[in-house]
Amino acid sequence: MIKDFVKGLWRENPVFVQVLGMCPTLAVTTKALFGLSMGMATLFVLVSSGMVISAIRRFVPRQVRIPIFTVIIATFVTAADYFLKANFYEISKALGPYVPLIVVNCIILGRAEAFASKHGVARSFLDAAGMGIGFTLALIVLGSVRELLGSGTVFGYRVMWAGFTDWIIMVLPAGAFITLGLLVGVFNMMDKRFMKRAEEK
Amino acid sequence: MTDKKSSVVKIILSLTLVGMVSGSLLVSVYNYAMPKIKTNVRAGTEKAIKNIFPETEEIKNTKEEGVFRAVGENGKFLGYAILAEGNGYQGIIKLIVGVNEDMSEMTGMEVLESQETPGLGAEIAGEAFRKQFEGLSLKHAMEYLKNQKPQEPYQIEAITGATISSRAVVNLLNERLDSVREKLKLKKI
Amino acid sequence: MNTFEELILIFIAASITNNFVLTYFLGICPFIGVSNSIDSSIGLGAATTFVMTIAATVTWIIYHYLLAPYNLVFLQYVVFIIVIASLVQFVEMVIRKISPPLYRALGIYLPLITTNCAILGLTLFMVLRNYTFLESVVFGLGAGVGFTLALVIMAGIREELAFCDIPEPLKGSGITLIIAGMLALAFMGFGGIISG
Repeated sequence: MIKDFVKGLWRENPVFVQVLGMCPTLAVTTKALFGLSMGMATLFVLVSSGMVISAIRRFVPRQVRIPIFTVIIATFVTAADYFLKANFYEISKALGPYVPLIVVNCIILGRAEAFASKHGVARSFLDAAGMGIGFTLALIVLGSVRELLGSGTVFGYRVMWAGFTDWIIMVLPAGAFITLGLLVGVFNMMDKRFMKRAEEK
Repeated sequence: MTDKKSSVVKIILSLTLVGMVSGSLLVSVYNYAMPKIKTNVRAGTEKAIKNIFPETEEIKNTKEEGVFRAVGENGKFLGYAILAEGNGYQGIIKLIVGVNEDMSEMTGMEVLESQETPGLGAEIAGEAFRKQFEGLSLKHAMEYLKNQKPQEPYQIEAITGATISSRAVVNLLNERLDSVREKLKLKKI
Repeated sequence: MNTFEELILIFIAASITNNFVLTYFLGICPFIGVSNSIDSSIGLGAATTFVMTIAATVTWIIYHYLLAPYNLVFLQYVVFIIVIASLVQFVEMVIRKISPPLYRALGIYLPLITTNCAILGLTLFMVLRNYTFLESVVFGLGAGVGFTLALVIMAGIREELAFCDIPEPLKGSGITLIIAGMLALAFMGFGGIISG
């Protein structure tokens, strides 16, 4: 059971390994806080839709499962979007249209199809939670790097020295792509190292 | 998953059921969230108006939507606060400007929402650009100049490298102010 | 600016200066997944453009004649995605009938168009920016062309890359993302076309 949860964090991390859900990842991670918020919203949708889909899986006719999954996902996304607008207005404005785009975030439909529709509610919850948290962590890392180099702050706290000139490119699309590409490279290197050590034992 | 070929009835039933549950869930979310969202939007507008007219004690609506009266101590009329919006380079730009009683002069400008490029177009929300609107004459249509200091009291200098965003601001303001002038039945320029 | 100029501007903006993939990060999944072959890129790009243009049209009509007047805006996401999914299904059937070879070539990528963030994204932007009917159609067309453009350019580069020595950790998605970044930088330069 634990494996269901842990795999989403590293081995099958949605961002660094599966390279899914790129759209929001690159778009909103201009600041670490936004990465965290988007991650949380996605986690919410992942877990709630995963549990619902798992619960009704025996009653859903095979032919229409994709439309039904999609409607369920879209409903939870709408709920998340309105919740953010009501309670975290500034963050909602910053995340903008990328919250509704969670609907087409390949991760959610992917997990629903690959796991939630085939397993019980408890395991589906763990799978979704793992993927969601893995996703959030990846976003926080990317967001922190871009915020650090692009604005000199991390989560709003000034970290870089006073004379540091912001690398504006970090805040722009080009920087997002390049940073993520490099982070994927770093992740792969670290992964290789862990694998080697595990073998040597 | 029911692998056997399900009857058409089952398919329609499941779709309808999901649709209905989803619909009712969304209606309740909507009812819960809408009042809060309206409050948030209003709070944002009020904050911006207070930035433009620091002595504001009360903000009153007028007959016109998006036009407010800023009222200070002892009911002193400070000016009109006007909401304006239009298409920028990357999306919609929402502004609020302060003008005096006969709309001959602008008191200030605040950006409420913008999706312009950070570091370039987004600088329309920056101090330097906005300061140009304080005391700007409205006796003539606003104009922008590129790489040149303003020559006339109704001109501003566009942001270097962000001409489109600057132009968008000027255009949307001109349009909005003209329309408000007509609605308030003030003299046209 | 008269209407025609405005439309041209929207088209150029959507396809080049504010390219959907390189500026708004929409359509990345297929972008990384499919762009290793020029042929499939063109095929997928064309199919996507077709779906995008029609999606823009249909969703505009539904939004302005159904959702907005009856205060049902909060159903926007659910309704739009259903429309898009149905459209893709429909296009799939049409292609199957008209050109079986093309259908086989596109294979699994066709249904994937549904989850292409670019399509839902473009319908959302269209509503946010309050485009008129004509503007929306042009917007959809431009977005599709831009998507295809980014895809084909990337495919061209990756086909060449197959002969290069790439560091192991960066192989695959890593290097693709970095190249996408450079493409994004290049496309930023196009912003100059519009000024003045």
